[in-house]
Amino acid sequence: MNKKSARIAASAAFCALLLCALSARAQDEAKQFPVAAKTLKNGMKVLVQPDHSIPNVALYVFYKIGSRNEHPGTTGLSHFFEHMMFNGAKKYGPGELDKVMEANGGSNNAYTTRNLTVYQDWFPHSALPLIFDIEADRIEYLQFDPKKIASEREVVASERRLRTDNDNEGLLDEQLWATAFIAHPYQWPVVGWMSDIQHWTMEDLKHHFEMGYSPSNATMVVVGDVTPDEIFGLCEKYIEPIPSHAPPPPVTTVEPPQLGERRLVVRKPAELPLLMIGYHVPQTNSPDFYALNILRTILFQGESSRMYQRLVDQDQIALDVSSYVEPAFDPTLMIIEAQPKQAVDPAKCEKEIYEELERVKSAPVTDQELEKAKNIRLVEFYHQMRTISGRANTIGTYEVFFGDYKQLFEAAAKYGAVTKEDVQRVAKAYFGESNRTVATLLPQNEEKAKP
Amino acid sequence: MRKHGIVRILAVLLTAAFAASASCAQALHLPPHEKVVLKNGLTLLLMRKQGVPMVNFYAIVKTGSAADPAAEAGLASVTASLLRKGTKSRTAQQFAADLDFIGGSFDAGASGDYTGISAEFMTKDLDHGLDLFSDALLRPTFPQAEVEKLLAQSLDGVKAAKDQPEAVLGPYFYGYLFGTHPYGRPSDGDEISLKKINREAIAKFYETYYTPGNTILAVSGEFNPTEMKQKLEQALGGWQGKAATAVAIPVAATVKGTRLLLVDKPDATQTYFAIGNVGTTVTDPDRVAIRVVNTVFGGRFTSLLNEALRVESGYTYGAESEFDSRKMPGAFLIASFTKNETTVPAIDLALKVLEEFRKNGVTPEQLASAKSYIKGQFPPSLETSGQLARRIALNEFYGLGDDEVNELAARIDAVTPEIAKRVIEKHFPAENLVFVLIGKASEIGPAVKKYAARQDARNISDPGYWPPEGQ
Repeated sequence: MNKKSARIAASAAFCALLLCALSARAQDEAKQFPVAAKTLKNGMKVLVQPDHSIPNVALYVFYKIGSRNEHPGTTGLSHFFEHMMFNGAKKYGPGELDKVMEANGGSNNAYTTRNLTVYQDWFPHSALPLIFDIEADRIEYLQFDPKKIASEREVVASERRLRTDNDNEGLLDEQLWATAFIAHPYQWPVVGWMSDIQHWTMEDLKHHFEMGYSPSNATMVVVGDVTPDEIFGLCEKYIEPIPSHAPPPPVTTVEPPQLGERRLVVRKPAELPLLMIGYHVPQTNSPDFYALNILRTILFQGESSRMYQRLVDQDQIALDVSSYVEPAFDPTLMIIEAQPKQAVDPAKCEKEIYEELERVKSAPVTDQELEKAKNIRLVEFYHQMRTISGRANTIGTYEVFFGDYKQLFEAAAKYGAVTKEDVQRVAKAYFGESNRTVATLLPQNEEKAKP
Repeated sequence: MRKHGIVRILAVLLTAAFAASASCAQALHLPPHEKVVLKNGLTLLLMRKQGVPMVNFYAIVKTGSAADPAAEAGLASVTASLLRKGTKSRTAQQFAADLDFIGGSFDAGASGDYTGISAEFMTKDLDHGLDLFSDALLRPTFPQAEVEKLLAQSLDGVKAAKDQPEAVLGPYFYGYLFGTHPYGRPSDGDEISLKKINREAIAKFYETYYTPGNTILAVSGEFNPTEMKQKLEQALGGWQGKAATAVAIPVAATVKGTRLLLVDKPDATQTYFAIGNVGTTVTDPDRVAIRVVNTVFGGRFTSLLNEALRVESGYTYGAESEFDSRKMPGAFLIASFTKNETTVPAIDLALKVLEEFRKNGVTPEQLASAKSYIKGQFPPSLETSGQLARRIALNEFYGLGDDEVNELAARIDAVTPEIAKRVIEKHFPAENLVFVLIGKASEIGPAVKKYAARQDARNISDPGYWPPEGQ
C-alpha cells in the first residue's frame, strides 16, 4: 500500500490518541459506546462496540505483520499476500469471496503498511454469519492457485506503476525511506521493488502465511449493528477452533543513529519540482508522540499554521506544505512535504522550512497556538468517531500500537499535559540537521521536437 | 491496498456528482427535516442529527462552472475559493486564524451545475462558526492581492495535477467529449483560462449569482432547531441581492462516430484511458435502473469490467464505469489503466465486455446481486450529518423529493430483467465512442490508431486540456 493510505492510518492513530484528549465530552462518549473485549482460546483478541444508528457493520482484522517483517529479495510480500487473501480458500474458491460478499450486500478492502496488514469488511447485519464463515475459511485454509499468483502479480505491478512509478510523490517518498534507513527494514517500500514483485514464489507465500497469520497475531474489531454476545458467539463457532501457532520472529535490527544529513535527487520529466524532508522520530508508543503531534499541528495544519502562512501565503513560494507520520512499532520518520511553485528553486522552500523549525526551537509557541492545536485534534477525533468504520479502525489501531485499546481513555490526560516547553523540547530533540534526509525531485524535460 | 479502481479519477472531476452515490436499504429513511424559505428567498433545510457534537452546513449556489465565460474557465471555482480570502470584517489571515482556532472547516468549490460551500463546527462554537460562514458567504471583498495569489496558485495546481496522469484524465476526457459545450470546460480552469480571469469578473460573478433566491442552505447535526432557525434568520435574513437569471445549459448531442485523443506523457510506463460518450441527467426516469445495471457492468469490484480487466487477466489494478449524471446529460465513461505493452489488449477487452453486455444483458443472478449490493452499501453513505446535509441540499437543487432516498429500495426491487434490457440498449453506447488516452505516444501511438476514425494528439505539457488554444 502506498503512502496516501498510510496517512489515513496515521490519522486514525492520531485521533485515537486524542480521544478524549482534551474534553470530558469525549470521555463521556467513550463510555456511551463501551467496548466489550474478549480473548479467544487461540489467542485472537476481539473488540466489539455496538452502535445501532445504521443497520450496518464494520469488521476489521488487524494482523501484526507488514513489510518490516520482510527481507531483501522478497520485499512487498506482505502486500502481495494481502491480495492473495481474496483469491480462494477451501469453501470459497478463487473469485468466490468477492462474489458472495457483494451478492449479500457486503464489500471489502484491505491495507498493508510497514507494520500491519488490515482486512476490512462492510456489510448489512443480515450478512454477519456469512462474513464469519468467509473470514474463518481464509484464515485457516487459504489456497495458492498458481494461475491466480501469476495474474495477481500483474495486478500488483500495475498498482506499483499507479502509485509509485507514475506518481512523483510516491516515487520521491520511496527514495526518501530507502535513504533515511540503512539497516532497519523500514527502508524498502511496502509495495516492494518491481524486481521482487516479479520473483516471489509459491514457497515465499506459504512461508509468509505460516509466519504471520496465527490467530494469536490478530485483533478483530467489530463496530455497528451488533451485540457483543452475538459476536462472541460467532467467534466461538467460527474462529476459536482455528489453531494458533508461533507469531513472526521479532524484528531485532535497530537503525543506528544517523551521523549527518543525507541528500538525494531524482531527475525526471515533470511539470513541477517536489521536496520532501524526513526526520527520524520515535515509535508510536513513545511519550514524545503527543508533543510531536501538537507541534505538527501548529506547524502544518490549516491556513493559519506557521508553515502555510510563511511559504504559501506570505512568501508564495509553495503551493502546499504538509507533514505526516505513520503509526509504527519501531522508530520511524516524520516527513515534511512541500510542493514548490513553478520557477521556484526547491532550496528556497527548504531554507524557509528550516527557519520555521528554528523558530519553534528558539522560542516557545504561544498559548493560543497550543489551545488551537488541541481544538483541532478534538475535531479530528470526532471525525474518526462519527462513522462505524472510523471507529473500528481507531479502536484497532490503538489496540495494536499501544498494546491495549483502553489506553485510549488515558490519552486525555497525556494530551492535556502537553506544555509549550514540551513542544519546544521535542522540536530541539528531533529537528536537527544530522537527523534529516532531504529528497528533491527536479524536472528534467526532454527537448521537445520542434516542428 | 487492494482496491482502488477509477474512483480517484472520477473524484477529481465529479466534485459534486450526485449520481455517483449508491442507493438505499429497506430500513433507511431520511431523518425528519424542515424546509423554511426566508423573506429574502433563501431556502433553509434543517435536520437535527444526533451523533458527535458538531454542526454541518452545506450551501448550494445554483450556478456553477457551466456559467463560466468560454474563455474564462475556472471563474466559478476561483470565486468560490476566494470567499474566505478577505471579508468586510476579516482579512484572509484573520479568517484562517479564527476558523482554525475553533477547529472549524470551510471549503467551497464549483462543479458544472452548481457551487457547493461546506462548513463544519463544534456545536459549542456554533455562534462563532455561523458568523464565519455568513461572513464568507455574504461579505467577501475579493482583495486584489488575494485574487492574484489564488490565480497563481490555481495555475500551478493545474501543473501539479498534470504530474499525476490519473488526476487529469477527467478534464481531458470532458474537454474532448463535450468540446465547446459548457460541460467541456475544466471547472478548475487551465493554464490559459486562469490568466484571463480578473478581479472585476470575479466580483461580477459573485454579485450576479450569490443571491439569497439562488441559494439553498442545509444544516445538519446536533442543535436545537428552534434556536437554529432564529440564528439563521438573524445571520442571513438581511442578505439582499437581485434575482439571478438561471443559466441555460444546452443539451449536448451524442458524439457520432469514433474519435481518439492521445495525450503524450513521454515518461509514462502505464497508459490511462477513458472511453465513453454523452450520458444522461440526474432526473432521468431510468436513473435507478441505470444504477443497477451499471453496478453489474462496471460499478463494483466483481463487475464485468473489473472481472475481465483485473481479476481474469491481470491487465490492471482497477477498471470501472460511471454515469456522471447532471442537470443536463453528463458523461458515461469506462476508465482504467494498464502498462504500455498491454494497452491494446486491455482496451480491446474493455470494448469486448461492452459489446457483450449490450448483446447479452444481465442474468437474473447478476441483477439480484447488484440490487442487494447497492442496498447493503447505501446506509454508510448517509451516516454523518455532513453527508445528510449535502444530500438534502442536492435533492432540493435537482427537484428530487425525500422519496429519492426513502423509496429507493422499492425502486431498486422494481427493476425487472426487461427493464434492465431496455436500459442497457438505450444508455450504453455501441459504435459511437470517444477515447482519451494519456501515455507514452512513441510506444503506444501507432497501435491505438485503429480505434477511431478521427485522431487528435497533444503533449501533456501543452497548456490547457482540449480544445487547444484558438480552436
